[in-house]
Amino acid sequence: MSMQTQMPPAFIHSIEASAVGEWMRSNLLAMPWVNAAHVLCVTLVFGTVLVVDLRLLGLLDRGRAVTGISREMLRLTWTAFAGAALSGLLFFSANATTYWFNTAFRFKMLAIVLAGVNMLVFQTVTFRSVASWDRGSPPRAARVAGALSILIWVSVIVLGRVIGFTKSVDVSVPENIDFDFSAGP
Amino acid sequence: MSLLEVATAIDSTSLSTALKSVSWIVPLVQSVHILMVGVVFVSILMTSLRLLGRVRADEPLPQVWSRFAPFFWTGLALMIVTGALLVIAEPVREFMTLSFRLKMIALAICIVSAAVFGHRMRGASLSLSQEAALPAGLRAVAIATLALWVAIIFLGRAIAYDDSVWGDWSPAVLQRVA
Repeated sequence: MSMQTQMPPAFIHSIEASAVGEWMRSNLLAMPWVNAAHVLCVTLVFGTVLVVDLRLLGLLDRGRAVTGISREMLRLTWTAFAGAALSGLLFFSANATTYWFNTAFRFKMLAIVLAGVNMLVFQTVTFRSVASWDRGSPPRAARVAGALSILIWVSVIVLGRVIGFTKSVDVSVPENIDFDFSAGP
Repeated sequence: MSLLEVATAIDSTSLSTALKSVSWIVPLVQSVHILMVGVVFVSILMTSLRLLGRVRADEPLPQVWSRFAPFFWTGLALMIVTGALLVIAEPVREFMTLSFRLKMIALAICIVSAAVFGHRMRGASLSLSQEAALPAGLRAVAIATLALWVAIIFLGRAIAYDDSVWGDWSPAVLQRVA
């Protein structure tokens, strides 16, 4: 396979070789718990972001102040995002090289960066005039930000699922061991 | 007919074969399933947090539920449809795990509880000052509901690791031994 001839950057290799990576690979319960925590946090990120996005699109909570909703939801979103990032990093440490070369993983990271940029632009530019539309219908820029956010976070979740189906599992067989299959199963 | 026989029968249906035949169907359906879990879970989370006095203190409880209920029920319906498709695609993998069985029990409890809660909220015009009169047990129900939904999400993921998580309690282990 061509993948095996590619070498990851040194820091990827050291993450994988770390004690945390080793623990993730060897502990029978580490993977299921970290995996479940990741899914829980990801659904929370998506759901809480969706509440704000739907308000921006005028599909939920019309009449409630945008500032109030975003303040309330952002706390939850950031807590969940921190949990998702931490559990994601634990995941990554178990098979860093494989993830590094996985296309879906790269697109997922790109999508998360795009979500951040979208949020940053919204917070620093569009949100400045919020006083004039806090309880009313948000301007086009805010509606676009809301729609983009939904689109991007849906992609993050789809790509996350694709990783699970496309990443190969690292299994290295020590070269100095001879297998004898002649005895049969 | 044992559960395994039911699963094997579903496995040989043409729908199951069709779902398995295209490689991207299962990941796509799983993605929609997870997205809907997010919608459902956050609808419950907002209502529960409101009951616990953590969010939207200025909005009466029945109004909070009426905002999120359409998302909850629509999300739940799509969650069940996508979940059913995943079961039809891989019935043995799902039925023969303790995680899946416990998940279905927890889900049934949560749906009944939401229906009862929704029924009590319907038409209720509870002003903010009247809320002090709500039964104290309702807060405990809110916490229990959140815990159950967290359990549902954990159990959903544990299906893939059933024998690691449950050991000898996993029917998957028994099946392998038999």
